[in-house]
Amino acid sequence: MMDCRTAQGKILAKADVLLSRQDEAGLADHLAGCPACAADDAAIVGTGPVLRALTAIRSMEKAPALDAMWTRVRAGIEESRESRWRFSWLARWAWIPAAVALAVSALLFYPSGTDQSPYRPSSFDVAVENVESDVATVALVDKGEDLPTVIWIIEDAKT
Amino acid sequence: MPKHNPRGRAGAPALSFLLLLLLIGAVPSQAADTVTVDVGAAYASNEGTSIDPALAMLRGKLRSMFNYTSYRMLDRKRRTLSVGETGEFELPDRRSMRATLLPGRGDKVRLSLQISEGPRNLLTTTLGLRRGGMVLVGGPPHQAGVLILIISAE
Repeated sequence: MMDCRTAQGKILAKADVLLSRQDEAGLADHLAGCPACAADDAAIVGTGPVLRALTAIRSMEKAPALDAMWTRVRAGIEESRESRWRFSWLARWAWIPAAVALAVSALLFYPSGTDQSPYRPSSFDVAVENVESDVATVALVDKGEDLPTVIWIIEDAKT
Repeated sequence: MPKHNPRGRAGAPALSFLLLLLLIGAVPSQAADTVTVDVGAAYASNEGTSIDPALAMLRGKLRSMFNYTSYRMLDRKRRTLSVGETGEFELPDRRSMRATLLPGRGDKVRLSLQISEGPRNLLTTTLGLRRGGMVLVGGPPHQAGVLILIISAE
């Protein structure tokens, strides 16, 4: 036979719909012979609809605020999508000014910079009007128009 | 979700190419009264037998004129000069060259060249050469060989 202490636990479990059929039958036997526990069970069973009604009222009260909140959330999501699209559009086209700047730099600075392109002289026809040195002997070597004219600087008879 | 237009993406290279063409057109072309002086410093020695790719077209001529087996470019610079304008070229071993464009005679470009090593004046010369022409100035010692300056005007 179930005692009152065990029955109180079962009453709470029953209210939470956690009681097995076997325990529910045992509890029913106990409640039939114990008016105090039966009164507690009746009070708890009666509280459920009251709580559900209260929750429903609270939900109705909060519904407009919840709707407003969801509207704001949706607007935020849309705005985030829009700004992400704008950023990706910028990222896709941002290379154009960079490429233009690079091309301008190449055009402006390449001719005065170091150049490793192969020499392709079109003429070795050179007129040497004068040649002199303060510190070296200078030799002028001209082997004809097929070969370049060479001005050779001889310092201290080293070269 | 907005969809990207693939035709817009395909048009990007065409647009940038058009911009590049416009830029090329916008850069002023070299005026007839200016000359671009090209000065290359080559190291000639008997250390190895390699010839710098930039000198490949001159290989035979260099071998005909000098007894060196190796030619390596150390530096090469260009300056565009107007008549009366002087351009300064730094050379290896703290040497330098000043080139002044003089008024031309006939179809030749005239250049006054001064090569210095610190306060010492190694060479002063005045040359007349055709556009695309070339002259060599050699002899200053460098490491185990000599420097050969390849001077051309365009």
